[in-house]
Amino acid sequence: MRGRGLVIGVTVVLVGLAAGAAYVTRDTSPPLENAPTMKVSEALGGASGAEGYTRALEPREFHFPEDHGPHPGFHTEWWYWTGNLTTADGHEFGYQFTLFRSALAPGEAERASAWGTRHIYMGHLALSDITGGRFHATERFSREAMDLAGARNGPFRVWLEDWSAEAIGDGVLPLRLTARSGNVSLSLELEAGKPPVLQGDRGLSQKGPQKGNASYYYSLTRMPTRGQVTVDGRAYEVTGRSWMDREWGTSALGQELVGWDWFALQLSDGGELMYYQLRRHDGTADAFSAGTLVPSEGAPVHLSRQDIRLEVADTWTSPHSGVAYPARWKLSVPSRGLTLDITPALADQELPVSVRYWEGAVRFSGTHAGQPVQGRGYVELTGYGDTPVRGR
Amino acid sequence: MPPAQPVVELQDVSKSYAEGDAVREVLANVRITLHAGEFIVLLGRSGSGKSTLLNLISGIDLPSRGTVRVDGRELVTLSEHERTLLRRERIGFIFQAFNLLPTLTVEENILLPLELTGRDGLDSRNRVRELLDTVGLGNRAASFPDRLSGGEQQRVAVARALAHTPPLLLADEPTGNLDEQTGRKVLDLLEGLTRREKACALIVTHDPGLVARADRVLSLEAGRLVEREARA
Amino acid sequence: MKQRLLIRSSLRHLGSHPWLTALSLLGIALGVAVVVSIDLANASAMRAFERSTDTVAGRATHQLVGGPSGLPESVYRDLRLQPGAPVSAPVVEGHVRARSGDQRILTVLGVDPFAEAPFRSFVPRGGGRVDMGAFLTEPGAALMTGRTARALNVKAGDPLQVAMEGVVKPLRVVALLQSGDENRAQAMEGLVLTDISTAQEVLGQVGRLSRIDLKLPDGEAGEARLASLRPLLPEGVEVIRPHTRGNAVEQMTRAFRTNLTALSLLALVVGTFLIYNTMTFSVVQRREQLGRLRAVGITRRELFALVLGEAAVLGMVGTVAGLLLGVVLGRGLMELVTRTLNDLYLVVSVRSLSLESFTLVKGVLLGLGATLAAAMLPAWEAARSAPAVTLRRSMLEDVSRNRAPRLALLGLVILALGVGLLSLPTPELLPAYAGLFSVLLGASLLVPWLTAKLAGLAAGPLGRPFGLLGRMAARGVTSNLSRTAVALAALMVAVATTVGVGLMVTSFRGTVADWLESSLEADVYVSPPALVTRRGGATFAPGLAEQVRATPGVASSSTLRTVQVRVDGVPTDVRAVDFGATPVRPYRFKEGDPARVWKELEAPDAVLVSEPLAFHRRLGVGGTVELATDQGPRRFRVVGVYFDYGSDTGTVLMLRSTYLLHFQDARVSGVALYAEPGQDVDALVARVRERAGTGQALGIQSNRALRQLSLEVFDRTFTITHVLRLLAVGVAFIGVLSALMALQLERARELAVLRATGLTPRQLWGLVSLQTGLLGLLAGLFSLPLGVALAYVLVHVINQRSFGWTLQLLVSGDVLTQAMVLALAAAALAGLYPSWKMSRANPALALREE
Repeated sequence: MRGRGLVIGVTVVLVGLAAGAAYVTRDTSPPLENAPTMKVSEALGGASGAEGYTRALEPREFHFPEDHGPHPGFHTEWWYWTGNLTTADGHEFGYQFTLFRSALAPGEAERASAWGTRHIYMGHLALSDITGGRFHATERFSREAMDLAGARNGPFRVWLEDWSAEAIGDGVLPLRLTARSGNVSLSLELEAGKPPVLQGDRGLSQKGPQKGNASYYYSLTRMPTRGQVTVDGRAYEVTGRSWMDREWGTSALGQELVGWDWFALQLSDGGELMYYQLRRHDGTADAFSAGTLVPSEGAPVHLSRQDIRLEVADTWTSPHSGVAYPARWKLSVPSRGLTLDITPALADQELPVSVRYWEGAVRFSGTHAGQPVQGRGYVELTGYGDTPVRGR
Repeated sequence: MPPAQPVVELQDVSKSYAEGDAVREVLANVRITLHAGEFIVLLGRSGSGKSTLLNLISGIDLPSRGTVRVDGRELVTLSEHERTLLRRERIGFIFQAFNLLPTLTVEENILLPLELTGRDGLDSRNRVRELLDTVGLGNRAASFPDRLSGGEQQRVAVARALAHTPPLLLADEPTGNLDEQTGRKVLDLLEGLTRREKACALIVTHDPGLVARADRVLSLEAGRLVEREARA
Repeated sequence: MKQRLLIRSSLRHLGSHPWLTALSLLGIALGVAVVVSIDLANASAMRAFERSTDTVAGRATHQLVGGPSGLPESVYRDLRLQPGAPVSAPVVEGHVRARSGDQRILTVLGVDPFAEAPFRSFVPRGGGRVDMGAFLTEPGAALMTGRTARALNVKAGDPLQVAMEGVVKPLRVVALLQSGDENRAQAMEGLVLTDISTAQEVLGQVGRLSRIDLKLPDGEAGEARLASLRPLLPEGVEVIRPHTRGNAVEQMTRAFRTNLTALSLLALVVGTFLIYNTMTFSVVQRREQLGRLRAVGITRRELFALVLGEAAVLGMVGTVAGLLLGVVLGRGLMELVTRTLNDLYLVVSVRSLSLESFTLVKGVLLGLGATLAAAMLPAWEAARSAPAVTLRRSMLEDVSRNRAPRLALLGLVILALGVGLLSLPTPELLPAYAGLFSVLLGASLLVPWLTAKLAGLAAGPLGRPFGLLGRMAARGVTSNLSRTAVALAALMVAVATTVGVGLMVTSFRGTVADWLESSLEADVYVSPPALVTRRGGATFAPGLAEQVRATPGVASSSTLRTVQVRVDGVPTDVRAVDFGATPVRPYRFKEGDPARVWKELEAPDAVLVSEPLAFHRRLGVGGTVELATDQGPRRFRVVGVYFDYGSDTGTVLMLRSTYLLHFQDARVSGVALYAEPGQDVDALVARVRERAGTGQALGIQSNRALRQLSLEVFDRTFTITHVLRLLAVGVAFIGVLSALMALQLERARELAVLRATGLTPRQLWGLVSLQTGLLGLLAGLFSLPLGVALAYVLVHVINQRSFGWTLQLLVSGDVLTQAMVLALAAAALAGLYPSWKMSRANPALALREE
């Protein structure tokens, strides 16, 4: 057959060229692996070691207003505001505004670049539109550099970009909280109300048996609050009461613990109750769970695990995460004749942030020393998702 | 036999070519009618206009005057394309130089006209086989023409010309390149096949020996066509 | 399938001339391959650049940019602290050279991880945990993909040294990034991700940001947002769209890429001529056969389709081969293109060929299109074949000879048209290319007539030394004019192309050498290593320039600062020159009076522009340009246009005093030293080297060395042109070979007759060689004037319009000699096979062959 040589030759050349083309365009990349995305929240993953940081080893003397300001020697520190607010015509809101400082390394950065820092800030802003039945929450981060975030005294100011808490006058109190995100904004003025309550042992709040597994912790439990809340472009003039928690330390949650349930309740008789229950893996309450009862008059009373009974009466499963949270409690302090039935003001107050948790406004009623009592407060539930919470 | 429609009909056909300023008339007032089943010999010297006449009948060339009808169709009225198709379907050609396609085998050469006229089924293949056997080349089907002798090539050409059963067969000096004996063999075949297929054959030759076989004998003399009495 | 047998017959025809078929396939394949490879190489470079730009630009909708040194970082803070600040992220970006592995150039991208999420998502590898603490707090902490790390020969946790403008900076790879899919992996090649603090420190941009990425909503809301933003921005900060950058690069390199494409198309044109030659041949050769087919009842349309079909088969096979070859070739050319781009324009790392389907489709269309277009005329010729029973070849040749003068006339008309197109006063390239191709076409139409005349003339001289054989050889050329003319035209175009391109490059080089001679007048040049060789821009470490200038033995010195500034919105190199005490002004002016220009330039708003810039932006003395200075956009007056062959995109030149007025940048990118009388230059170089120390790797060159280096860079940037020329030479060579071989093979019968009549194989070889030699000579001779004309067009029209340069055409004897050698060598080679085959073959067989 004529041309067979040609056909064979052309075929050979074509095959050769194809092989060459395949060779030069071959995929040299290694097989792909599965990997999650880079998370800035990882930076908050807790101190890898306490070395180099100041620690909460024993009770200290608190100085106000200085202690409202930052304590940069400690690994972690936060300013925590929660509160229940109402408009003149009865529209109810709850809010949470939190600024966390976390150190990435001990000491201060010595860098040519102004961006060099060893501290980062995380902020959470949540607004519970109780009457409207909606919940709004945002998280943001920044570094303590370039004035993007930070805390200082005289005059007092702690801020994360355009979220801030700052003294209205020269001192600290009264102070103004300003934050906005998307369709929600907050502008509130908080007065001191009662004097600071030192939690735990004179402000040293022990979280576990080891020395140093503790933080310094004080609260302002009843801060008269007024200001403006904006949701979806609609402004509401509100009044109400806030609760401020301040805590700093250098410790991680013990390995045996999965999370905690924290209650901050303002009673209609003028008293307040704070209780945090540290939960162990088996669901039982850890011995270092503790609280404080602030009577309307007189000195606060420290409460230990044995003084308090907490029963979960109902649970709620988040449609967003599938996590089941306690949703109703019976809390009693038998020694004080206090029995309360606590219910969330809104079921869905789960914060869909890097470490998911539930924090929301609650309502309660019950009896205190034989008298009927009711009130409002805030509850925080952490460690219910699959990721155990380290810190706080 | 009832007089069928003539296969070829030439009326007062003249053909002249311009040569410089002069006009040379190659054919003058040719008038002729050819019928199916006729085996016709056209004699003439070189340059007497034989090839021109064949060209006019096959529609390769057009007359200067007069009309040419093939199968009842007036060639002048047809387009180039239609004339080509007419040639393809109604006419078989045999050339002096065999003119087989060197790139096709013997079998394929014969199959070509069948395929061109849309007949390339099993029947056609059988016909090619049968034709090859008839021309005595049944064992050379797969050979290429350049492997064949002149006589063999011309036998293939005969088979090819008749493969698609054209009503008209034109042969231009089919034995011109062959020795006498071979030529005679080819002519035997040509005649036998033409008669078998009931085609009309017009064979141009200067071989007077062919006259004996013809039904009609024509001759061209200086552009004029003369019909001689054929032997009965 | 009515045409099955015909098709089979066609294929057998191709198959029975395997060498010719193979050579024409090779011609098509090479033509297509050259076009495809250039296109792939260009596209890969552009795609790589786009991908990396996209990667670093991320999902930003807008960017805030400043002057040449970026923008103050406070802009970001002020923006960020605004109530309801827009979604934004600060970016510090720059390039460093790795000091390990393949020493590649790395893009350092400094980001603030806390602001990044809306813009770029980087994925770490292995467990998914990047030690964010280390990334943020450790100076020099860096992330990169595993592939990049491998190329640099480092692992996670390893230290990595990089050089920034010659100063070594330590980094540490804290973790490897997962790139995701292949596209992203390629986009992230050579990318080093760091915290913004590290980037500022490593790149020497403390206090500055390269840009701020913004993400604004689409449509009116975004526009409103932007409008409310603008008043907050300080002077000198502008809002741009991220793709502006890609566009600028696209524009900057367009002339370069267009020229490559044009050169590659030239190879295809040569290939097309070869196809034309092959197809014409196969038609002419089968004239009688075609006539027979017509007689048997094959219609014209069918014959036309048949020949086109043959061409299509050739085109298809050749194109497929060409595509594959193009891919292989493209991989090699990609490196050359990348290197040239890196030498001339920008930092781009192209690691793999991106097989754009568009390019491949284009290749198929070009290959098939060119083949079919080339086969059109032969196919038409075939269809015109008279269905004659007896057709004499000499008749055909008569027709072809008679047609020659008419063709020549048509050729002259087309030539005139081409010249007209070329002299149109337009800066557009398309008419220039059209003109160029008209000249080629017109010239090839002149060939038959010229050949007939010249071969007739040659019969006498050839007859004297070679006797009858000589006369036969010469006569063979004319008596086969239908074939020889086509072959000759193809050859002439092929060879002329190599001449044209060759002369263009030599002219270019000569002009540049002249220019270097006149513009390098200082004795020693000192500059930090630049990433883009031709552009410079790297700066001296603080104080170092002053130290170098004060070297003993230096009579006077001048400094240069090269920065990229947006000039009328387009990033352009601006040179700020301080002549110091030297009276030397090494510039030549195209416009402006050298005696007055320097005085005029002292005005604080006066600049000079280089010739290409003046050309591209349609500027002249009296025009103005707007520069994005650190104080915002400012207009400058053009007081002169100077010759500069350093940059095809053009440069703006101003006095340093002017520069300092408008830009907050006191750095220096280059220092030129003038030696004291009697000072030995090599000794001065050594002294400067000693004084400069080792803190920064500086390039310290004597005038001579720099000139040589510049020419080396020039040659390097023209490597790809040389490669293209070589490929064109290859195509031309194959053309000569196949055309002449075909001619001789086709005469097999004639030669067999000669053999039969008693010609010895030696004499036969002599005859064939004489004839192919004569054809080779003619092709060579024809190609010289056409080649020079082509070079003239390339230099004075195409180059001028692409780059804006005035070049002097330099006709180099070397290039012309090469062309003649090429034509004659191919011709000699072409004669070998046919005469060998003929002398071996049995003449009887050949005689019988049809």
